[in-house]
Amino acid sequence: MAEDQISNNDMLELSWHESYDPGDWVTGLHPMDTLLRGERLPHIWCQGCGLGTALTTFIGALQWLEKNQDWNLDKVSVVSGIGCTGRVAGYIRLDSFHTTHGRALPFATGLKLANPELKLVVFSGDGDIAGIGGNHFIHAARRNLDITVICVNNFNYGMTGGQVGPTTPHGARAVTTQYGNFEFPFNLPYLAAAGGASFMARWTVLHARRLEWTLREAMLHPGFSFVEIIAPCSTSYARWNPEGQGLDPQKLRRRGLEVMKHYQKVGKIAHGTHPKDANIRVDEKGLITEIVEGIFIDEPKPEFQASINRQAQVAKKRWAAANKALEERPQLPGQTDQIPRTEVQLGGFGGQGIVSAGRIIGQAATIYDKREACFTQSYGPEARGGAAGAQVVIDSSPIHHPHLIEPSSAIIMSQEAYARYIPQLAVGGVLLIDEGLVTISGDHRKDIITYGIPATRLAEELGNTRAANTVMLGFWAAIVSVISKAAMRQSLADSVPAKTIDVNLKAFDIGYEKGSAVRRHT
Amino acid sequence: MPKVTIRLKSLNLLNVRIVDYALCYAPTLLFILKVAKSPLRKTKFRIQNPDEIMSSDQGLLIGAHFLLGDYAAAEGAIMAGCRFFAGYPITPATEIAERMSTRLPQVGGLYIQMEDELASMNAVLGASWTGVKSMTATSGPGFSLMMENLGLGIMLETPCVLINVQRGGPSTGLPTLVGQQDMMQARWGSHGDYEIIALAPTSPQELFDLTIRAFNLAEKFRTPVLVMTDAEVGHMTERVVIPSPEQIEIIDRSMVRKGDVEPDHFRIFRESSAAGGDGAVSPMAIAGEGYRFHVTGLTHDERGYPAMNAEASEWNIKRLVNKIRAHRNEIIQLEERYLDDAEIVVVSYGISARTSLWPVEQARNEGIRVGYLRLITVWPFPEEQIRKLAKRIRAYVVPEINMGQIMREVERCSAGQARVFGVHRLGGDILEPQNVLNAIRKAAGRIETSQDDSMNRSME
Repeated sequence: MAEDQISNNDMLELSWHESYDPGDWVTGLHPMDTLLRGERLPHIWCQGCGLGTALTTFIGALQWLEKNQDWNLDKVSVVSGIGCTGRVAGYIRLDSFHTTHGRALPFATGLKLANPELKLVVFSGDGDIAGIGGNHFIHAARRNLDITVICVNNFNYGMTGGQVGPTTPHGARAVTTQYGNFEFPFNLPYLAAAGGASFMARWTVLHARRLEWTLREAMLHPGFSFVEIIAPCSTSYARWNPEGQGLDPQKLRRRGLEVMKHYQKVGKIAHGTHPKDANIRVDEKGLITEIVEGIFIDEPKPEFQASINRQAQVAKKRWAAANKALEERPQLPGQTDQIPRTEVQLGGFGGQGIVSAGRIIGQAATIYDKREACFTQSYGPEARGGAAGAQVVIDSSPIHHPHLIEPSSAIIMSQEAYARYIPQLAVGGVLLIDEGLVTISGDHRKDIITYGIPATRLAEELGNTRAANTVMLGFWAAIVSVISKAAMRQSLADSVPAKTIDVNLKAFDIGYEKGSAVRRHT
Repeated sequence: MPKVTIRLKSLNLLNVRIVDYALCYAPTLLFILKVAKSPLRKTKFRIQNPDEIMSSDQGLLIGAHFLLGDYAAAEGAIMAGCRFFAGYPITPATEIAERMSTRLPQVGGLYIQMEDELASMNAVLGASWTGVKSMTATSGPGFSLMMENLGLGIMLETPCVLINVQRGGPSTGLPTLVGQQDMMQARWGSHGDYEIIALAPTSPQELFDLTIRAFNLAEKFRTPVLVMTDAEVGHMTERVVIPSPEQIEIIDRSMVRKGDVEPDHFRIFRESSAAGGDGAVSPMAIAGEGYRFHVTGLTHDERGYPAMNAEASEWNIKRLVNKIRAHRNEIIQLEERYLDDAEIVVVSYGISARTSLWPVEQARNEGIRVGYLRLITVWPFPEEQIRKLAKRIRAYVVPEINMGQIMREVERCSAGQARVFGVHRLGGDILEPQNVLNAIRKAAGRIETSQDDSMNRSME
């Protein structure tokens, strides 16, 4: 202990913010010193504030857990947000994080998920947890992650000078509700319960011993546990409200005590009360007339971590299967001849596999023919209403411009796509349509070459209408012949579900034959 | 024994006695030496035949693949060692989250969808403080929400990566369509003074490579790093060649583990130059190792304790800024073409740099001596390079998909020595190559400058 004292004193001297003589500081005398950052004391809390009690009960609970449950306190992290209560993280000698306003819970969520060994305690105020961090609070409760939330509720925003908060009772006064609060407050345990928390309790700081026992329970509880601590704000809330005996200067230094007396009067211990009925009642002037206290819910609930472990097992199996498929991927020699930039437009409606077809072309070009290809698809409003569009650029040198400038061929499988994409087609370009789905218009472009094929009907004959896009791909591959047949077939086999590989390859070959026939005739 | 109370002048600020100083540094230095000796895996991004390696047993994707840009970013992150992703769905960054949700559990990592982007960024920081490499990905509206805790990440010196797949703004803007309008927000979006690192990829391959680099920089400099890509690159599918893990340089943060240093002597925010090693940052402690450290978003001293005064603030901010400024030559990467004889230089980044290559080649064919400078690292900005070039060239042309954000930086660094022409498009589509070509011609005096929507304010 003597050595500890010396090193702590040394640390004190390294600090900036205090100007005490190190000799002033004696550490190791109080039983809680090991869990306090002595060099940071005195704390910033006001005389009569409830936070000191809240912190000591917390430390008491931790020490009990260390002694009786073999807890390794090195594994306990405390996360706070902003505000008076947020300063707890700075006074407790544990791994402690003083984060941004309201964000203690998501920060703690990250810590806990990335290292489930850690015990996480979020220690913050009502404004932090239920005001700015309200959304994080209900979601953390919903996830039921093993985090203990200790929320010190002093009914107002203390650090900023006593403004109204989400827990200020209706009718009570605050700096910003000088005519009485016209809003209604949260009942925090009820909010936690609605979110899905499996442990919730409330105590005032007057009930310090019970509070400490409850904090032990809460930290031992697997899953999300919530403890609300009602504490006097002696400087702000008590100044404006009758609990603190008002502004009587004689009682100025006694406000905290007056509030504690009030708690004694209005506190009602009722374990097991449904959180809905666990109210903080007020009279018409906002004076608190009843505080229901106790452990309201303490029930087991499925753990989060178990589901994560199950998911990991399934995921690893899936990777093993994917890995095998990748290893079995054949190698093709690739194409070495120079080709000019070639642009392909694909269009149809959703569900036809237009986007897949475009991707298959790009993959065949890059992976198996070893050329360059850039595949893009249409997103958003232009792709809504059932329209689907995809574009592929193929080249033997790097592609600078990823969009189509002048497509030299188009695969069109709907009337809408026909109307939309044909005007951009290059002069002399090749248009391939599914005859069953696209009707050539009266003013059809004379400067392009059009070939039709009843792709959907052909696919139907094979017993799989969804292979219509594959028929079109075969047709295109034969006519435009910028990508080798082997590359196209392999890319296709890579891209469709295993049980449909055969039917798709057949469909491709049918299209390819038709295309070859067309080529022979022209 | 009498106490040694000599105070080093430069250390007066810290109120440190020299004996403490030596005492508390010795273990840290030893530790750094230990870390420095451990072999680092080296990058050789070129491999003989990409098809030779097809997959790996550790769940890492390798070999040549036809990959969506967003997926490539996810694979890069996993290769870099990222094992935690917290995010919120947003077009056009959603595919990164989707890919991570499938891939992370395969490599022993974890994906979680948070309630919003505020929570996502915080969860990423929390995870990083357990020593796990973590990241998130978003687009404009989510980027705005992440600004709050990007600042916390910078202040707590927390390594992590944030990918912004930019779309057109402001506000909800153009969810599915390209933009480069968050470039200045990347630099100044969170309140206060700081330096940031931001990289701008032009292809899925580069999204893969630069995501790895982003993690390496984040780990090395203990800071959040941004990858500022865009909807075009994120939603584009191209060949991505992934080398085997041994060929990729992966940097892991310098970290103290249980027993490395006497906890009482450990300082979590030591001054960079004093920390030894390569002078970047002090080693990081992580939760659960017995250091019982404290960190705060408040201005703090080297122990992480709040310190509310001007000199503490100066110490604090200067460290945050200098650790990046002092290493800018290491951080800044540029692609240069035809700069030797250039009298006009096209400066661009991301997709706009890529689409500017054709106009540059075209202009050179027309006899215009135009050079090309692509900012692979956008922040910190290559001030010196732009300043030096400005002295010997006639004009810069800056194409970007916004009203002229990086153009302002180019103007600032040119300081009137060279004219600056912007080429703008306001989100929704990539730049027309013809517009860039015209801007080069105008800058070269080949055609009359006129009132043209695509030209910038310095034309007016």
